[in-house]
Amino acid sequence: MRQGRLVATGAMLAFCLFALWQSLLLSLTDRLGPGPGFFPFWLALIGIVLSLALFVSIWRESPPAADGPAEEARILPHGWGAIRCFAIIGLLAAVTVAMEFVGFRIAMLVFNAALVIALGERRWWLIALFATLGSFGVYYVFTTWLDVLLPTGQFGI
Amino acid sequence: MEALGHLLQGFAAALTPGYLLYAFTGCMLGTLIGVLPGLGPAAGTAILIPLTFSLDATGAIIMLCAIYYGAMYGGTITSVLINVPGEAASVVTCIDGHQMAKQGRAGSALGIAAIGSFVGGTLATVALVAVAMPLASLALKFGPAEFFALMVAGLCLVVGLAGNNMLAALLMTVIGLLFAMIGVDPVRGAPRFTFGVEELYDGIGFVPVVMGLFGVAELLLAAEKRQTHMVEAELKSWMPTRQECRQSVGAISRGTVVGFVLGLIPGVGAIVPTFMAYVLEKRVSKTPERFGKGAIEGVASAETANNAYANASMVPLLALGIPSSPTIAVLMGAFIVNGITPGPFLFKEQPALVWTVIASFFVGNALLLILNLPLVGLWAKLLKIPFSYMCAGVLIFCVIGAYGLKQSLFDVWVMLGFGILGYLLRKLDFPIAPAILALILGPMMEKSLRTTLEISGGSFGIFLDRPVALALLTIPVIVIAFLIFKPRSLAPLRESDIE
Repeated sequence: MRQGRLVATGAMLAFCLFALWQSLLLSLTDRLGPGPGFFPFWLALIGIVLSLALFVSIWRESPPAADGPAEEARILPHGWGAIRCFAIIGLLAAVTVAMEFVGFRIAMLVFNAALVIALGERRWWLIALFATLGSFGVYYVFTTWLDVLLPTGQFGI
Repeated sequence: MEALGHLLQGFAAALTPGYLLYAFTGCMLGTLIGVLPGLGPAAGTAILIPLTFSLDATGAIIMLCAIYYGAMYGGTITSVLINVPGEAASVVTCIDGHQMAKQGRAGSALGIAAIGSFVGGTLATVALVAVAMPLASLALKFGPAEFFALMVAGLCLVVGLAGNNMLAALLMTVIGLLFAMIGVDPVRGAPRFTFGVEELYDGIGFVPVVMGLFGVAELLLAAEKRQTHMVEAELKSWMPTRQECRQSVGAISRGTVVGFVLGLIPGVGAIVPTFMAYVLEKRVSKTPERFGKGAIEGVASAETANNAYANASMVPLLALGIPSSPTIAVLMGAFIVNGITPGPFLFKEQPALVWTVIASFFVGNALLLILNLPLVGLWAKLLKIPFSYMCAGVLIFCVIGAYGLKQSLFDVWVMLGFGILGYLLRKLDFPIAPAILALILGPMMEKSLRTTLEISGGSFGIFLDRPVALALLTIPVIVIAFLIFKPRSLAPLRESDIE
């Protein structure tokens, strides 16, 4: 946990430093008053001070005992939990790419089926029913009843 | 008196079949979201935004508000039946509610929760009617300096509630504000931090961000633990006995006051009023030993405070344009998506909309009472939905919500990115609420500050010449100083304190 918080604080420090550099590329003041870079400059500066203070504060915390609970140290998922988490992330990324090419309905049909299987469902008829309703059914409801435009892909499906 | 006239007109609109249907649908969906463990009101309100895309602004806000307080009630059902709070505010309800369920009194617990929620929500809305308009009139006299100071004070109060994690909360606020800087500069119109990416010119979309931080992140956390729940309690009756009602009268009255007062203060999460109301009830009880063993006053006080808080927290949003919690920030985002800027001008420029929405709070509270008592059995059955289907269903809404607003797949990537970020931040104990509030307040804060400095010719001394702004700016200083030097006995509230 402590190590993870140090890494996260370091990443935030890097983000604030980057924002400071970018804000310096914009004008801080002009003849009318504060320019576009004014507010982000001061925010980034405050962010740098805060992240350094937090970094030092976490650094000074006593490290966990070597025989402490293993769960405390785990930030990233592990075992089956990791498989389920990565399935969600991977399938969400895949459906985002696929929607542009094959449209919402086909992409979501495959996404739904793959996700419920990855999360442990094995009854094929229920998977098929859910995948169809969650793709073609949802598409119909949102585009016809709720006037929400959804991607149709390169084949117009 | 003027407010009463507006409110009656609001009722005339809110009771039309269309708006009644939106309130009804919102209550049902909100309760459903509240019942499903792991999805709180913020996530629920965020993922259901796409359902309101085709509605007019008033209808959309009515439905989303109904989802919000429906979710606040829905969390009670799981707390009582399976000892799992559907959302954080229901943690306190578990203590006596589940004990009552074990004694075969689940129906009484759920019944008194529904009655308490109705009374607390309705009385808080009456107080909202009385308070909101004078507060908005006062705020109309504010200039940009006062608004900037008000937003800084609001954000600092949210940070202050983070307690020992205050430094991390302050940093998260700054990170949220920096993300809000992406896009076209609100004063000069110059692009900032866009790196030539066309989609970034409009800034980072609030809807994809909250869907990621709440919806996707919640699902990742739940998937890691693989939550499975079994319904244990059986429901025999859903009405409390006459004696139980008599025992709860005092608890409901005190819960309403505690919930309303704390709902007015930005940053006080829903768990604080429920905890305070519970502790107060235990203190005033002649038989405090019954608390924790199935005392109905424990359920009544917590649930009343919960809903009174939910309705009272609309006061800072409607009258001042300050969201006091992440869920209210999501609602504020929905207002803005619909072309409405919450704040003092709302009462002046769009009185029909704002009073219809306020009237719909009364209608929604009544609908929740009428619907939820007889439908408790149905909601309990929903707990049997396997996680795999719930997860896929929520993700469908997340994808549609992120894409549907601007028809942009870029926003779906933003949602996924913020989902992973939210998951990691939650695991590392970094508070997300300040970042969400900062993201939505950032552009307004910047505009107010820069306009103030343009008026003063670049001098910060203007804040010393404006007494209201100066007074507001001392609040964060006091809060932060108090928290730095606070005595140990005033440590912040945590869920573990109640266990």
